[in-house]
Parts: sequence; structure tokens; C-alpha cells
Amino acid sequence: MSDSVPNEVSVNINGAEVRAKAGEMLIAAADRAGVHIPRFCYHERMSSVGMCRMCLVDVDTGRGPMLQPSCMVPVAEGMSVDTQSEDTKRAQEGILEFLLVNHPLDCPVCDKGGECPLQDQTMAYGPGESRFVEEKRHYEKPIPISDLVHLDRERCILCDRCTRFADEIAGDPLIHFTERGNSTQVLTFPDEPFSSYFSGNTVQICPVGALTAAPYRFKARPWDLDQVESTCTTCSMGCRTAVQSSRNELVRYLGVDIESVNHGWLCDKGRFNFEATNSEERLTVPLIRDPNDERQLLGSDWGSALANAAEAILDAGSDGIGIIGGSRLTNEDAYAWSKLARSIIRTDNLDAQLGDGLPAELVHSLPPATIADACEADTVLVVGPDLKEELAILHLRLRGAATKGHTKVVEINAAPSGCEPYVERAIRCGSGEAAKYLGEILNSDDDLATRLREGSVVAVVGRSSMAESDHSSIAVAALIRDELPHATFLTALRRGNVRGALDMGLAPGVLPGRTAIDNPSSALDDIWGYTPSMKGLDTTGMLQAAAEGKIRTLVLLGADPLSDFPDRNLAAEAIQRAETVISLDNFLTASSAQADIILPTTAYGEQGGTTTNLEGRISRLTQKITPPGSVRDDWMIATELAWRLGGDLNLTSKEQIWREIEQVAPSHAGVTVERIMSEEAREGILVQESSVEYIFPSVQEPPIADGYGLRLISGRKLWDASTTTSMSPSLRPLAEAPVLKVHPTDLQRLGILSGSDVRVISTRSTENLKAVADESLERGTALLPFNQPGFGANRFIDATAAVNDIRIETL
Amino acid sequence: MSEMLGTEIAHAAGFIANETPRIVTARFDYEDSFTLERYEITGGYQALRKALQQAPEDVHKEVTNATLLGRGGAGFPAGVKWGFCPPGVWPRYLVVNGDESEPGTYKDRLLMELDPHQLIEGCLIACYAVGLSQCFLYVRGEMAVAQERIARALNDAYEAGYIGRNILGSHFSVDIVLHWGAGAYVVGEETALIESLEGNRGMPRLKPPYFPASIGLYGQPTIVNNVETLSNLPWIIDNGADAFTNIGTETSPGTRMVAVSGHVKRPGVYEIVNGTTTFRDLLYGQDMCGGIRDDNQLKAFVPGGGSAPWFTPDQLDLPFEASQVGPQGSMLGSGAIMVMDETTDIPAAALTLTKFYAHESCGKCVPCREGGTWLEQILRRVVDGRGSRRDLDLLIEVGETICPGDFPHAAVPSKGIEAKPFPYKMTTICFVGPSAFAPIHSALTLFREEFEAKVAGNDDRVLIEVPVNV
Amino acid sequence: MGYLDGFKVTFKKLFEERVTTEYPKEKRPKPPRFHGRHVLNRYEDGMEKCIGCELCAGVCPAKCIYVRGADNPETEPVSPGERYGYVYEINYLRCIHCDLCVEACPTEAITESKLFEFSFANRSDAIYTKDELVVDDDGQPKRQPWELWHDGDDLATSGWMRATAPSGNPDYQNRVGWSGELGYGVRAPETGQQEKFPELSDLDFLTEDQAEEQH
Repeated sequence: MSDSVPNEVSVNINGAEVRAKAGEMLIAAADRAGVHIPRFCYHERMSSVGMCRMCLVDVDTGRGPMLQPSCMVPVAEGMSVDTQSEDTKRAQEGILEFLLVNHPLDCPVCDKGGECPLQDQTMAYGPGESRFVEEKRHYEKPIPISDLVHLDRERCILCDRCTRFADEIAGDPLIHFTERGNSTQVLTFPDEPFSSYFSGNTVQICPVGALTAAPYRFKARPWDLDQVESTCTTCSMGCRTAVQSSRNELVRYLGVDIESVNHGWLCDKGRFNFEATNSEERLTVPLIRDPNDERQLLGSDWGSALANAAEAILDAGSDGIGIIGGSRLTNEDAYAWSKLARSIIRTDNLDAQLGDGLPAELVHSLPPATIADACEADTVLVVGPDLKEELAILHLRLRGAATKGHTKVVEINAAPSGCEPYVERAIRCGSGEAAKYLGEILNSDDDLATRLREGSVVAVVGRSSMAESDHSSIAVAALIRDELPHATFLTALRRGNVRGALDMGLAPGVLPGRTAIDNPSSALDDIWGYTPSMKGLDTTGMLQAAAEGKIRTLVLLGADPLSDFPDRNLAAEAIQRAETVISLDNFLTASSAQADIILPTTAYGEQGGTTTNLEGRISRLTQKITPPGSVRDDWMIATELAWRLGGDLNLTSKEQIWREIEQVAPSHAGVTVERIMSEEAREGILVQESSVEYIFPSVQEPPIADGYGLRLISGRKLWDASTTTSMSPSLRPLAEAPVLKVHPTDLQRLGILSGSDVRVISTRSTENLKAVADESLERGTALLPFNQPGFGANRFIDATAAVNDIRIETL
Repeated sequence: MSEMLGTEIAHAAGFIANETPRIVTARFDYEDSFTLERYEITGGYQALRKALQQAPEDVHKEVTNATLLGRGGAGFPAGVKWGFCPPGVWPRYLVVNGDESEPGTYKDRLLMELDPHQLIEGCLIACYAVGLSQCFLYVRGEMAVAQERIARALNDAYEAGYIGRNILGSHFSVDIVLHWGAGAYVVGEETALIESLEGNRGMPRLKPPYFPASIGLYGQPTIVNNVETLSNLPWIIDNGADAFTNIGTETSPGTRMVAVSGHVKRPGVYEIVNGTTTFRDLLYGQDMCGGIRDDNQLKAFVPGGGSAPWFTPDQLDLPFEASQVGPQGSMLGSGAIMVMDETTDIPAAALTLTKFYAHESCGKCVPCREGGTWLEQILRRVVDGRGSRRDLDLLIEVGETICPGDFPHAAVPSKGIEAKPFPYKMTTICFVGPSAFAPIHSALTLFREEFEAKVAGNDDRVLIEVPVNV
Repeated sequence: MGYLDGFKVTFKKLFEERVTTEYPKEKRPKPPRFHGRHVLNRYEDGMEKCIGCELCAGVCPAKCIYVRGADNPETEPVSPGERYGYVYEINYLRCIHCDLCVEACPTEAITESKLFEFSFANRSDAIYTKDELVVDDDGQPKRQPWELWHDGDDLATSGWMRATAPSGNPDYQNRVGWSGELGYGVRAPETGQQEKFPELSDLDFLTEDQAEEQH
């Protein structure tokens, strides 16, 4: 043990020498040394406040032992600590007795009872008996402080964890202490609910049962929970979660603290959408359209449903097939479908993205960054969707880096975003013109230009608006690559396992392992036997072809083009025109309800395998519950279909699929099943290699809007009409009805009162909508959320246009 | 002048003059003492002029040499405190702690009401000496007259060029902002005051850093001084540090203001010589309090604000000198003396004080929030005659969770009680928690027989409090 | 000739008092702490005592109890407080009548009666649901068709059957431990361990009237 390690000090804890990082809090050093100091208010991801006084220990810095809160005392060389001294024990007993003085002890009905730090620490360090005989403090029993969170102030021990989280981590300081002394309590502001996207985290970190989650309320007790660790696939962040079930029903997700991704936090959507898996509306048996009545779907068996599907696929021929979707699938499922499509059906018409992402070749060819890179970079350049709405935990990480670290976040966006409170600069650009604005900055003598050119840069690039084509994002990527060659990229693609699906080749022109279609690995050639040589169609292309009658059979792999494809009219026409639509889904969505053959599949929590997040980080999914009815994994459906099509995928299990992936996918070489099963995979296994090159197309500047038109901007909200949200009873009410936001001057010009209904006209459709004035928008623009209940902006969007304009009229 | 004085506030007696040298109360005899005219006629703002002709370091040195002890309670030398500012860090702030809220203390209120210009001049001198250009005057929310007078004085001083840009033609510029508190005892604690000034909930900050001089208001070095401390500065600069140290003792020079309340013949604020005046001089001196009311016997007195352990007649001959009071088990604190004569119901008196501190707890840390209220509940039961002997021990045991180890108290030779010296240990963040225990501990240690009388007959009963309405 | 010695023993026993009884024609009184089938109790106002906390299910070594809690309906609460037992089932094919559930219950909602004579014709009858377990409006167990009841059994049903005192204080003797809210099963306070086991006839339960008198 050398004494001269820089930034390290030696501390004596309970007689043992412990090396600790200089400046580290004593409680953290003790934790690492395996000495547990009881605590309530201390949380390793938040600043210390020293409020609960539970972590008082005897600290001797040469002036004799003194009781000090170990969450507030930084370690110092030669410090001697006794966590078991008589004084410490007496203080711990005293503090616990004080905490219990007003704690209601309604443990039997408390959701926390059984996993409660207050219970546990009272058992371990408490006095055993209370001397308090007076009446306890009383408040109204739980008050809902938001739609998802209940607050029981009687149970609260005022540790400041939730309020600190809301303020420090989430940036939504909507709860705080009120009153003083004995009546101090946590409350929201009057008439202002704790409507944070991250409110569920406060429930998880509450050391007592003061904050409880409405979806979990009285669902189970901790001792009848079963738990596995898994990865959230709600968006492409890949947050580590603990999935808990009771009696084969998912009841709770908890965030698991991993350094690389989520730091233990989850967004409320990812935390509470387990309700969708449990939904009564899940499909449990295959459905076939009634040959006698087009409007009817009949329950069927797998044999006939698959036979019908195989027949439709054979009928259509390899050019007449289009396979849309797949970002809901696990990596293994995606690989099986990629293999089925290319080697057996012999088509390259497959695309995991629904015209709402970036070209797969672009995603594969950009120099990759990690989330950690972004949080350490000098500048993070965000040109993409509103991260708070679409990749909420990435927003949280960047916010943390911007508020606590040295990272500066610069955002270029056509509409205001949730990141604005912490960005160094929010540059408002015209829709589709982000590259132009960025170019102007880079060519100016702005400090920002210097910093971008000289400092480290991570660019978060994605689709800013569904109403503009991907050309705008491609132009930004091209500009950054040319002007800032040192910059690395995070592609802000939103869907669950979209990155994994692209890696597995669920996109035209790319094969598993991030290789181009004309450059298959020899292992792939050997095992697959056949790969198409021509690049196929992407989703837009397939839908167009279907609408023209060129594609006769459409396979929807968990995709709902009617809700998610930017151009609803095109999607509707394609589904209408296609002779057979085969849908693999959990629910009857807008699109699958129109399908001819519906094959029910397993949902999150019912399937094992792996998933890949937006960084290219592979982590494990763990099956927790047995799926309902006769639903099947997507890969099983692929192998069955292959069989009925006269081929054989030779895939027998998820594990065996992964072994094959590891063999054929050059980028995944070395990522063995053993590694995936190992402890290493908790943080995820980062895969960054790629051999795909992207030829940037020349991009035209978008046309100027005419004097009457408003340029449409459309992004997603966290609470939207997406399937998992609408199938979760607790979350469904949170999605608001859509309103069209327009600058007040534009409304005034048209003589429209804010809040009134207007007629909205685009080249695609004419609809009535409520218009509301919003000063934060630029003049000449209109903001409409993409997919809210009852109405989606996709009715107005022409997917082939670079930008979309609308007109509004009074009714 | 009565319209200027506003409504007389009944609970506080005024200033009572005596024979001691008058440093901070010199102008109190004039009815218009708070006006700029009177201040200027009586030598006001001369010290500022004098200071501006010296180098800031020299002014600082003068104050350091005067050993001006902080008058807010802790008694830390002001000059030394100023020196804690880390060099080269700007901006720095001066915050004047006018949130005088210790029970029994009302000396700063008189200084702010009767001589606001003296305080302002003191602020300016401090700013000049430490190189501050921004000063915040934090005045307690309830002190309407003080706020009004300070506001007027600030306006007059701005107009006369004493505050603002290039004061008196020098390169020295200062802005002074008046801030009204919202009335919370704990904001008298300097870090809580800073939080409150920043617009946050008034809760004490955690130590370290022990002094806001390193990290204070808005994260910058901040000097927090008491009103009386700053009011001494003009006189010190005018007359020199030597003249100041010639008064009083070497360790406690100058004069200090004390507020006497309770059972004396003439309660009020007195300016007394620091270090040499004894409690007997103050309470029995004919030019001071003039003895106990109705010539009763003195039973006990609180020597330094509601949070100080109590003294009995045995300690009457102690001087106002921290180094002598501390070993005897109490503190001089904020200079509030509360006198209790033989008719006093000691447990009830302790309850009054404890109730105040329990109510004023900010709720931040557990021992103070829960312990204070619990102590109050137990004591109330005892005072109401519903307590048991067990409750008396319980009071001490509960208090020991707030203040582990020996708690200071005075000696009572007749009962064989020996003194336990100041200070005490605590599990709380600030002194509010221990303050709730201090009166109980003193009362119970020094007058246990009165508590036992209250619980006589209940000895072995186990009392379960049953709520009246459930 | 040794085998005739055996008959000697048999012959001798013919004239001694028999220790066995002719069950079911003849029945012995059951000891006070007898563990029969469970009942779910109510308060005097008819509210159910069960709060659905699942502690009984958690402690059950045979895993025979299934409980689910739910929010008390605001207008017609089932039990006092926030939570009530929404599902309560005991599988008597598994139950070993160890009484740990009674020990664990924080509200004395579940106790054991003296009833043990029941047989089932099918497995689902063996699973007693909440409707079957909860006492009726008079505090009486509900008689199931397959249960054999005798006179007086109904008086000796619910009752305090804990081994430990409710406060956790072992020195709880001489206090009435079971309040018997609905008038049944009120027992005289226990007097602590006795040298000799009391005569069974001394352990009769009080009737409703007797209980009233004691109050």
C-alpha cells in the first residue's frame, strides 16, 4: 500500500485503514470499505444536506472524537472514525426515537412496509422501545400531489430527498417544505401539481412510505415480489431497471443505478407502462379476417394463421413484399426477421424505422459517442427532437452535466424545447434550416464557434420535427462532419430497440453487424446462403409502392404506420391497397385492426434476449412473467414462417441466435453469450465498430413559406397516444388533447381568438382544431404535437415534402 | 415626534441612561436622534470622512486593535472575522444582521430606531475597510418603526452623498439595500439569514464552511455583522482603538448594550462597561435596574438571551466577561437579561422559553424539529400537573439526544451543585435545538424540587395521552 | 407360553376406565387454544378488521393464504383506514393450523375458531374465500354446508388465540387480551403459567349475556 497516491487519503474506519478519494464524503468512503453507516437523507447521486442526522459518527481529526454527520464531512488524511462507539450508538438510537415520535407506524397498510429503510434501520439501530406517549402529528392521509404520486405527510420524515431530486436532478422544483418546526411538511404549490416527467423517482428514493405511486398502490407487499434485472425499452436510452412481479403480474419497475446510462433514474413513462403488459386488451390468440365479412376478425389457431401468412408471402413474390417495423423487437427477434426476409423471402424491402428516423447508413457511419462522452464534452450540440419529451433520461443526464459539470449545451431548434432551462444558448432556427444556422455560427467570430472548433463536441442529432424530411438532419450531420471533424455523435432515435434493429439489418441496404448489403461477411454468406444484392425500399418507399399496388403483402412488425408514419394518408392508402397485411403485435392498434392476419407476440417483461441503446450499448432483457394466451416470440414466428416457406432458419433459441449473430455480425464479434450473461453486461457492452459508409446526398434548402402559410412543426410528447401509454390506465389520462400553437401576432392577423377552433388546411387534409396563442414560437410557424389522443399531426404531413405548411381559417 | 415613532410597542421598555461612557447610545437623549440633521450636528459621518483619508488596511487594523467583539451572541472579534475573506475573490458582501429575535433582546431595535445613521456609517466604514461595495441591511419583519427609520435614513444619506457612487468625492462607492425579514427566529443565525436574503427558505446552512466569510451570500465571501457591532465603528474610528480599549477590560473592551426584562424595578436597555460591570451592578445598581420589584428576592436570571443557561443569585458578582461567564456554565450571548424573582413558577417559565424555540425550529434537522416539540409536550404535562417523576428524567434524556454529554449549568453551592462549563455538544445543525433544551436543563438542575412538587402524587402512574378527538 | 401374557394385559384393561372416546358420538371439550378453522372478525360497527396487509400470507409456512389489498371505497369503506382486504383466501388442503397468521395479524382480524370438522367433496370447497371466512353480523362464523357443528360450538368460536401479548409485552397477564367486540369469545384474563393444567371444565367460554355482565 503506497502512501503517495495522488488525490488519495488514508482514513481509519473502525480500526481498519481505508484508502479514500480526497474530497469524498466520509459516508461514501465507508460504503466502499463495507462499513454501513445508517442514513436517510444522504443519496449518492444528490448533494448532501445533513438533515436527518442519522449518519452521525465519532470523527477524530486529532482534537478528540466528535459526533459529525458523515455525509457532510469530507475525508481527511489521518482521520479516525468510529461508527460503533457508545456516543454514536446513543445518537443513532436518539435520532430514530425522534423520527418515530411522529411517524404513524401504519406499516401494515404502507406500501413501503417490508422494504422500508426506516423499518430496517429501526430494527438495526433503534432503541427498541419508544418513550413517546403523546398524540402524533396528524394530516389528511394521502393527498395526490400529481396523477401518479400520493403524499402521506404523516409518514414523511422530511429528509429532503424528493424535494432535492425535484430541484437538483429533475429541474422541476414543484415540491418544497412549507411551515416550520413541528408542522414542517412537504407540499406542492397551491393549485400546481407535481407534474414532473420524473415524479416516480421520488417514490423510489423516499426512505419511508410518504410518497407512493398510484399504479403500485396496494398492489403487492414487498415480500411477495419477484424481481429480475432488465433493460427498459420504452425509448432507446436503455435504462437499467428492476422488473418486479407478483403472481405473474408485473407490478413495479425500479431504476437500477448504472454509471453509464441512467444513474438509477427512470422517466415516469418507462416506470409505469408495465400496466400495458398486464392490459386486458392484449391479443392472446391469432386473428384472421373473416372471409365472409370484411369487418370481422375471427379468433384462429397458429397453424391456420401462419399458413395463411405464408401463402400471402409466397403469392406476393420477393418484390411484392414489404416488411415494416421491428424496433420493438429484441436483437435476436430482429436478426431472425432480417434473416427470414433476406435469405428466405429474398427481399431487401425492410425497415425498422417509420420514416421518422435517420437513414441506417448515416447512423452506422457517424463517429459514435457515448452518453458519458456527452456529459464530459465541452459542448453538446443538440439538433434534434425535444429530448425532454422523447429521450427523457438523456435530457436528465445532459441537464446534470450542464448544471453541475463544465459541459455547455447548445440547442438549435425550430420550436422551444424542454432543455431550454439549462442550455447555454438556444438558437431558434426555421424549420428544416438548422444546418444553415449552424453554418452561420461556425463561420462567425462568436465564442461559441471557437469553442466548437477547439473544444470537444458531442452532437446529438435526430429529427427535430416530423413535418420536415430527414434531409434537414442529414445536412446538419454533414456540416458537423465536415466542419468539426473531431465531433462525435449520438443519434437521437427514439424507438425502443431501433439501434439494435438497424444493427441486425432491419433496414434496406444494411446487413447484420453494420455492413453494407454489397459487403456481407463471409460467415454471413456461408450461413445465410443468399443475400439480395440490390438495396430495397425504406418505409416511405414501401408504403408508396403498396399504394401503387406494387407491393401486395405488407408485414407490420409491431409497427403502426397509421399512427406513427408522418404521412397518415399515404399509410392509409397503402394498407387499404395491399392485398394482405400481416401484423405482429401486442394490441389491436389503428393499423393492426386493419390487418388481415394478426399474430400476437410477447410483450416487455415476457421475453428475454438483448437490446441495444442509442449509443450501441448491448444489455440484457430478462423475462419475468409467463405470457398470456398462446402468444409467441417474434423469432419463433419467423422460424415457423420460414419452414412454411420451404426454408429453415436453423434458429432454436435466443441464446443460439446470439451465437449466430456473434459469428456473422463483424461489429458484434467478441460479444459472446458468456459476456452477455456476465456481470459486465449490467453496464452494457458497448459496440461501436462499423464498416458502413454513407454518401451524403446534396440537400436543397427548404422552400420559403408563402405569406399565408404557417410552417408546421411537429414533435412527440412524452405523454402521447402511443400504444403503451394508451394501454396503461394510469398514464392514458396524462396525454392531453392536441392544440395547435401559433404566435399571437399570426392569430391576430387572421382575426382568430386564442382558444377557439380553427380550420386547418394542408395539402393532405383539412381538419378542425383548437388554436392557442404561444409567444415562445417564432412568427410564421405552427406547433402541433405529433400523436396526441384523438388527433395526430400526421394527417397534415406529406412525407415526400422537405417541409410542410398549413393554413388556418376561422370557422 | 410621536407620529414618527409610530405606535408604542408595549412589551419593550426604552433606553435608560446611566453614568457609564456612552459609545453607541450617545444620541439617544435627543428626540430627533434618528434624523440626519441631528446626526450631523452631533459629529455624524466625521468618522467616515476620517476613514476615507486612511488606507482601508489601516481602518481594518484599527478595528482589529480595538478587539471589538461581535455583539450578536457568539462574541467573535469583528476585525478577525473580516480577515477571513479569501484574498482576491470578488464581489464580497456585507450583511447586517438586524434580525434581532432572541427572546428578551431588544437593543438592536433601539439602535435601528433611534440612531439609524450611526449604523449606516458603521456599515460604510466596514465596507471601506474590507473592500465591499454592496451591503444588505436585513431588518426583522416585525420591526416596523426600525424599517421606516432606516429607510428614511438611507434615503437621506443617499441624497447627502454618504452612500452611493464616489462617497464624499472619494473613489469609494457602496450601495446599501434594506431588506425586510418575514419573521423567523432562526434567520438570526447568519447562514439562515443569507438563505433568506437569497430568497430561499430560511434554514441554516451546513458547516463547514464555518464562516460565510469564505462562502456566503450568492456563493461569495460575505461578512455578517450585528447591528450593535457596526454601530460601534464610528466611535472607534473617531476616538481611536486605544480610547476604546481603555474602557472595559483587555479581553472585553468597550461598552455593550444589555436589555433587562422581568422582575426588576426599571427594566430597559442599558449601556454598560464591558468586562467590569457585574450582574449585581446592573440589577441592583441605583442608576441601573434599581433592584428586584417589590424588593423581592432574586430567584434566577437568564444572563444572555433565552437560549443561555440560567444563573442564580450565586452568580451575581460575575462581570460581563465571556471568559468568566463561560466556565460558570452560561454565556453572555445577545445581552438579554431576564430576571425572575421568588414568585416565579420556574417550570412554567422554562415552558414559555422552550415553547418559543420549539415553535421557531425551522424543521430542517430531526433533533430540533422532533425533540423540541416533544420536550415542550412533556414539560407542558409536568406544568399542568399531569406528569410523573419519570417525565423529569425523560426531559433530560430527550435533551441528551439533542445535546449529548454534559450540558452547561451554573453552580448552586447550597445544594451542592457544581458548575459545568460552556459550551455543549450538539447533534443539530444550529443552536435552535439546544436552545429549546437549555431552559429546561437549567430549571430542572437548579430547581428540581419545584418540578417534583408539580408531579407529586403521580409518581408511579404511567400516563398514556389519549387524544380527545380522534 | 409367553403369548398368553399379552391377553392378560388386554383382559386387565377391560375393567379400567377408557382413555378413548367414541368420536363422533361423544365429544370432548376442546382446549382454549385449540386451532380450528379461521374466522375473519369485524368491529362492533360492522367494519372488517382485515386491512389486507398480507402479513398472514407472508408468515404462512404452508403458503396457504392469498390476500390482496385495495383502496377502501370512499363512500362505503369496508375497513377503517386506507386499505382493506379485497381478496382473502385460505386453502385448507394446505393449512397446518400453526396459528402464525394469528400471531402476525396487526389488527386481530384473523383468529381461529374451534371448528375442525369439515370435509370437502372437491378442491375448490377447500379454499375458503373471504365471504366464507368473515363473521356474520352477529360475530358468528358462517356455517358452510360441509361443516359439522354441534350445540355450543357457535359460542366458542372466535376468541383471542395469540401466544404472545398484543403489545409484545410478555407480562400481559391479568388483562383482557381479546375484546370480543361482537360479544362472543370474551375470555377471562389469563393468569400466567400455572403449575397444573386446569380442568377442562373450567375453561368454558362466556355467553353473550355473561360477557355483558362482565362489562
